[in-house]
Amino acid sequence: MRSYFSDFPKTALQASYWLFVIYLLLPLALMMAISFKDANFVAFPIDKWTLKWYAQVLQDKQFLEACAYSIFIALMTTMFATIVGVWIALLITTEGMIARSVIFALACLPAVVPGLINAISMRIFIRVLDIPTGTGAIILGHTVHAVPFVVIMVLTRLRSMPNNLVDAARDLGADSFVAFMRVTLPYLAPALAGGMVFCVLTSIDDFVRTFFLGGYQTTLPMLIFAKVQGGMSPEINAMATLVLIVTAAVGLYAEHLTRRSRTR
Amino acid sequence: MQPVVHFRNVNKYYGSSLAVDNLDLAIEPGQFVTLLGPSGCGKSTTLRMLGGFETPTSGEIFLDGQEISRLPPNKRNVNIVFQDYALFPHLNVRRNVAFGLELKGMASDAIHKRTMELLSLVKLTDFAERMPGQLSGGQRQRVALMRALAPNPNVLLLDEPLSALDAKLRQQMQIELKSIQKTTGKTFIFVTHDQEEALTMSDVVVVMNAGRIEQMGDPHTLYAKPRSRFVANFIGETNFIEGKLKAVDGGLAAIEWNDSVVHANLNGHNPAVGSTVAAALRPEAISVLSQKPTNTIAVSGRITQSIFKGDHTSLTVSLANGQSLVAQLDPVALSAVTGDDVWLTWRESDAVVLAD
Repeated sequence: MRSYFSDFPKTALQASYWLFVIYLLLPLALMMAISFKDANFVAFPIDKWTLKWYAQVLQDKQFLEACAYSIFIALMTTMFATIVGVWIALLITTEGMIARSVIFALACLPAVVPGLINAISMRIFIRVLDIPTGTGAIILGHTVHAVPFVVIMVLTRLRSMPNNLVDAARDLGADSFVAFMRVTLPYLAPALAGGMVFCVLTSIDDFVRTFFLGGYQTTLPMLIFAKVQGGMSPEINAMATLVLIVTAAVGLYAEHLTRRSRTR
Repeated sequence: MQPVVHFRNVNKYYGSSLAVDNLDLAIEPGQFVTLLGPSGCGKSTTLRMLGGFETPTSGEIFLDGQEISRLPPNKRNVNIVFQDYALFPHLNVRRNVAFGLELKGMASDAIHKRTMELLSLVKLTDFAERMPGQLSGGQRQRVALMRALAPNPNVLLLDEPLSALDAKLRQQMQIELKSIQKTTGKTFIFVTHDQEEALTMSDVVVVMNAGRIEQMGDPHTLYAKPRSRFVANFIGETNFIEGKLKAVDGGLAAIEWNDSVVHANLNGHNPAVGSTVAAALRPEAISVLSQKPTNTIAVSGRITQSIFKGDHTSLTVSLANGQSLVAQLDPVALSAVTGDDVWLTWRESDAVVLAD
């Protein structure tokens, strides 16, 4: 274990770390606490506790529909982004491919372009092409944003792949497609799983692109945004808490998968 | 007999550099053949051309009489054991071995039977469900070997498969490889830069240098009768005796070596009398004596270096004629130390004249 700040007092370092953790977690904890408050106002102290907001949220048709719609968009986005991302990663690692660094840079560009700029340009783009706003447009926008993450994760894994695995498969009778399906793809599995979960999370979380590209149907972030504008209520806290728990669980699982891919 | 593998006038260029230079090589079925040479001699390229991973720039390669040089790897009935084994990390031992059989569309019962048979051949049945990452180097090596043998190839290619193993395990695997080759009766083509490996296992050794075959023959002939300086130098340790050819008598050459005259086997060469020739003489062919022998030619000298090697001692002897020779001393026969004066002698046929 290296020690970078050995001449600082240890307790000071530890204290500053815990301060950061509190800063990180306290707002979330407060939000969660309020969701159990048996009153209509978002304020402390909490005199009575209840689960009624959760019951209300889980029966809220609007909320459930928004969830389903968001998940649908996320899954479609993930599917397209994975196909395109893997394809680009393979292209970049193909020997003798010219301008590989250019391909890589272009593939990663959407990850660093500000969401707002990206959203506006996509909006103009679909107007020009006469694509209506709505589901298709949202998926298109989310996919563009998600592809770089798939590319980077798959590329990292591909680069650690021994060259002769595919040779061995070819040697044992596989044509190049079979070799890809039976050797390369399984080898990429941990990176793919991680990348796909990442796609799902970024898509569900996305507000700006959805706002510019969406139609009449609301996604989850749009619904919460609309509700917040109508005034804060513990019901929103309950919704947010549910979303937080589900996404945190999925995110941690993805981290677990990618960690395994790094160690294996 | 028709050769199982036949390279005919094969050239391979990488850009403008020549990796394989007009190779003509016929390999008889059922033999253990080793391509031996330093790195960059073209041995691996030759193997990869046979496996289908490189295409010859010109020339033809025949496998069982069929021209295959343009066929993709999956259409050739040869399999490779790769240098670092290339086991599929996501498949267990059994599935690795079964890979080629599955692609052949064999029934799963038959696949299982054959896989287990092969694994029992190398005593790995208990490891069938393990992942490659959980195996030792030697075990991985065996799995790679069985995976390559599973589809029943005409020819098995081995690309320096022992180089990652430690010395003891390597010796063990050499014997095991040889015995597997014998039991299966398959043609093995083995690539290595390790001359000891080549001598231990092979029926035929093909010594390659700069993309060409230097000499091809059984290990004994190669060792005892190297044709060129390169072969003599690459296989085993050698003394070179260089001088003017004084006379030729039957199969023997008389070479003027500074002040002495030594005899050497002409080895089929036909150098002109008066030209400079070189002969190779193995250290172990030299007898070290404490007194001048009466019945043979001998040269005298003084031991300048003595290195204990366990089963023998390697002596460097500075001769009266200004040259020096390396000889092996059998410690049971004679004990000698640095500074001692000794006489060296050898059978005339043990020194062989080289082509260049």
